[in-house]
Amino acid sequence: MTPSEILSDLRYRLRVLFGRGRTEQELDAELRFHLDRETDKLVAQGYPRADAERRARLAFGGMERIKDDARDARGVSLIETFLQDVRYAARGLRSRRAFSAGVILTLGLGIGANAAMFGVVDRMLFRAPPTLRDPGTVHRIYRARHDQTGDARVEGNFAFPTFLDVRRLTSSSFSDVAAFQTRHMVVGEGEDAVDVPVTVASAKYFDFFDARAVLGRFYTAAQDSVPEGAPVVVLGYGFWQARFGGRNVVGEHLRVDRMNATIIGVAPQSFVGMPDQGAPAAFVPITAYAFALRGAQYPTKHSWSWLEMVARRRPNVSEGRAQADLDAALVASWRGAQAEDAGWGSPEDVGVHGLLGPVQLGRGPEAGPENRVATWVSGVALIVLLIACANVANLMLARAVSRRREIAMRLALGVSRGRLVRQLLTESALLAVAGGVVGLFVAQWGGSVIRALFLPPDMSAAVLTDTRTLVFTAILTVSAALVTGALPAFGRRRLDVASVLKAGEREGGERRTTLRKGLLVFQAALSVLLLVGAGLFVKSLTNARAFRLGYDTDRVVMAGVQMRGLRLDSARSAALGARLLSAAQSTPGITHAALAASVPFWSNEGRGLWVSGIDSVDKLGHFILQIATPDYFATMGTRILRGRPFTDGDRVNAPHVVVVSEGMARALWPHAEALGQCIHVDSPSAPCATVVGVAEEVRMRKVVDPREFSYYLPAAQFEGDLAETLLARTRGDAEEHVAALRSRLQAELPAPAYVNVVPLTTLVDPNFRAWRFGATMFAAFGALALVLAAIGLYSLIAYDVAQRTRELSVRIALGAPGARVVRMVIGRGLLLVTGGLLAGGAIAAWLGPRVQSLMFEQDPRDPVIFGGVALVVLLIGVVATAGPAFRAARVDPAEVLRGE
Amino acid sequence: MTDRLDLPQGTLDLLILKALSLGPMHGWAISERLHQVSRATLSVPQGSLYPALHRLERRGWIRAEWGASDNNRKAKYYELTRAGRKQLATEQEAWAKLTRAVGLVLDMT
Repeated sequence: MTPSEILSDLRYRLRVLFGRGRTEQELDAELRFHLDRETDKLVAQGYPRADAERRARLAFGGMERIKDDARDARGVSLIETFLQDVRYAARGLRSRRAFSAGVILTLGLGIGANAAMFGVVDRMLFRAPPTLRDPGTVHRIYRARHDQTGDARVEGNFAFPTFLDVRRLTSSSFSDVAAFQTRHMVVGEGEDAVDVPVTVASAKYFDFFDARAVLGRFYTAAQDSVPEGAPVVVLGYGFWQARFGGRNVVGEHLRVDRMNATIIGVAPQSFVGMPDQGAPAAFVPITAYAFALRGAQYPTKHSWSWLEMVARRRPNVSEGRAQADLDAALVASWRGAQAEDAGWGSPEDVGVHGLLGPVQLGRGPEAGPENRVATWVSGVALIVLLIACANVANLMLARAVSRRREIAMRLALGVSRGRLVRQLLTESALLAVAGGVVGLFVAQWGGSVIRALFLPPDMSAAVLTDTRTLVFTAILTVSAALVTGALPAFGRRRLDVASVLKAGEREGGERRTTLRKGLLVFQAALSVLLLVGAGLFVKSLTNARAFRLGYDTDRVVMAGVQMRGLRLDSARSAALGARLLSAAQSTPGITHAALAASVPFWSNEGRGLWVSGIDSVDKLGHFILQIATPDYFATMGTRILRGRPFTDGDRVNAPHVVVVSEGMARALWPHAEALGQCIHVDSPSAPCATVVGVAEEVRMRKVVDPREFSYYLPAAQFEGDLAETLLARTRGDAEEHVAALRSRLQAELPAPAYVNVVPLTTLVDPNFRAWRFGATMFAAFGALALVLAAIGLYSLIAYDVAQRTRELSVRIALGAPGARVVRMVIGRGLLLVTGGLLAGGAIAAWLGPRVQSLMFEQDPRDPVIFGGVALVVLLIGVVATAGPAFRAARVDPAEVLRGE
Repeated sequence: MTDRLDLPQGTLDLLILKALSLGPMHGWAISERLHQVSRATLSVPQGSLYPALHRLERRGWIRAEWGASDNNRKAKYYELTRAGRKQLATEQEAWAKLTRAVGLVLDMT
């Protein structure tokens, strides 16, 4: 084209595009003018008017097709016909509100479920921490080895000297290595003191991110120097806003744990570091914190493993080489630990080596089961969407059959088949887009529940403003449009116009009915699969709930005292402990209280253990030591099975006693009575402690670990100065007594010590999270799937009955009793449902063992659950088909047959 | 109707341009003219004229204007533009060359 032609083309297109309505009218007028002139001519030649009109039309050709061609010739047809299709589809959908609302809601729920799950899984497994530079080269560092019992272990926490060794020995592979740890600390003083997450990090930590302080600056390597760094603190943005209202606080003092720190900066809102536990309130240098906590020895002590590490691989270094460097550094560091304490064993014996993990915790070797549960649940969400799509496709197919006449008429009028298919796709696209929008809102509002279950608190999880979630939703929407639109559209390609116009609405569509039946069986199978999953996970949760941990969680609270730098000698510490204990015991609503060294799922003591006649007790399991005051068993509700608990009589000068757990008794003395046996704690030469009682097994570290055992020593005989953790038994609900107990205990504490009181359930519940997620999500999605499938079944059967009204009325006219008609219709529905049941059951039986590890002592092929699901699904099948069946039986044959 | 010819591809445009070279005309008149001038030997479905007219208009070779027809109805009149005249000349020449060449080949054998 020449430039002038291009210009003319453009002008023309614009005119046509903007004057669309007028152009159409003009085209109509032009063509009508032609026909009129032609007719006039023929009339003048002597034809009768009607005949002349017919001839003129014949000579002219197919009106619709010519209009289409003219539009094509105008060259704007793509946009124009698209807009036309959209208008046409929107008009059609508006006129069938119930159908449209049903489809949009169905798709909305399916898409919403997926968008919400995507938001969760993306943040758990795929998304790098915000503002992290070049995440592909950043690794979390883990150490793999096996422990004394031979079990493989992966550790993500390291001692400070190991961090120094890794940083020093891997500098050719890693440009930066940083150590960090986020822990709860008390920040502020007196009334203003709060318990918040604070990140302890080396100065390099900030260099991993593209973050600039919004106020002041981050701390530097000089402020994080070994052994005693500068007592400075960088505030997190949220904490700064909440606590200081965003005013300039640089230079002010803030007490962080036991450090009296100076505020030097505020981190930007986007910066949370490694967001394993949500956004930290503050950041402090490792060296300053560790020095304040442990004194000048910490840089060489291997016994305190508390730091996580991240490293940035140099650009030209392969992962293999970095791994080799890391192995060497960890082995060298292990030798240092061995030199400090021979108990560590040689690095060769325990097989120490390093692991380079991805930066996302959820994909690393220490990922919790909730990550796997989330992955499975996303699969479930996808199945819900499939069911929703099948449902919508089914509805569209049903409508397609009833619109056969309309379609055939349009084909006869010369509308091209391609155009028709486009129109149908436009319609399903319009529905899908509306469904996608609804889905986003479902994900935003309904999904907040899901996110609360899976993600750390205050981790940003917006849906409507998150690009990745929006893109994902858009992809889902397009796919849903294609799936739901393509089936009916392509089914229609092979439409025989003449036969349809002759037959009317009554007949035909046999093949499409087969397709719809296939879809229904598919839906039923998927629902069965989800319901079986829901049944299994709910039962697993019930099992977990019913499982006795060896103590009563709902009536016990834990009080943890943080000394914040206050150092008490043994006598004063013991006195404080006694004061706290009597304060707790005199608090209204508290029935028993005890000081204890270990708290379930919180902190555990472990000491060397020697028993005559056994070479290495450590090889027999993990033995957790509880040191407690006499009321401990009554406080926790732990039952003594044989012998006695310890009492006030077990004083420091009395013969030493110990209570062991049932499993420990069996592990140590498989062939003898445990009572009266003797063990040595802490050193082989320690005085013998005689077993006076056997307690039920308790779960202290893991909910399931057959090799975890506990034993109990009276505080009076072992370590008399317990003052840091106190357990109290409440009358009624533990939650109600937290505040009263806290203020009572806080009053006993010398400044700046701080006490935090939590119900034991807050410590224990997170360990049941994975099971609870699984049960909740499977149950919710399973129910959703069942409802969708029931709607699908109902609409298919109802439609089927409507189509066969004639046949049924003939049967009734010929004397078939209504009951038989009902039976026949329901039977047809149940046949499909049964097909789905068998297919779904088979898939569930095959998949079950794959999720067994995510369930709590649950047989993945539990016949009760499979049977129950079958019953429920058949019942729903009967309910969904009953309505149409009775309607069929009430058909008045005379009326129907006359109507034909 | 055995003596009617289908139009070779692309020649409809040429015929329309030629017809319009005599002066502005509406669609029906063009169709009538083609019918008469070819002595009814060219078979042009009347309707197919219109997509061609719209195509030519878009390319800037003809332009359209609504005007009163002889029986006082509004009709859409098409006329050649300057570019259209040039195009007609080029196409006519190309057509002459083509028919000459084809004729030569056919005569030779």
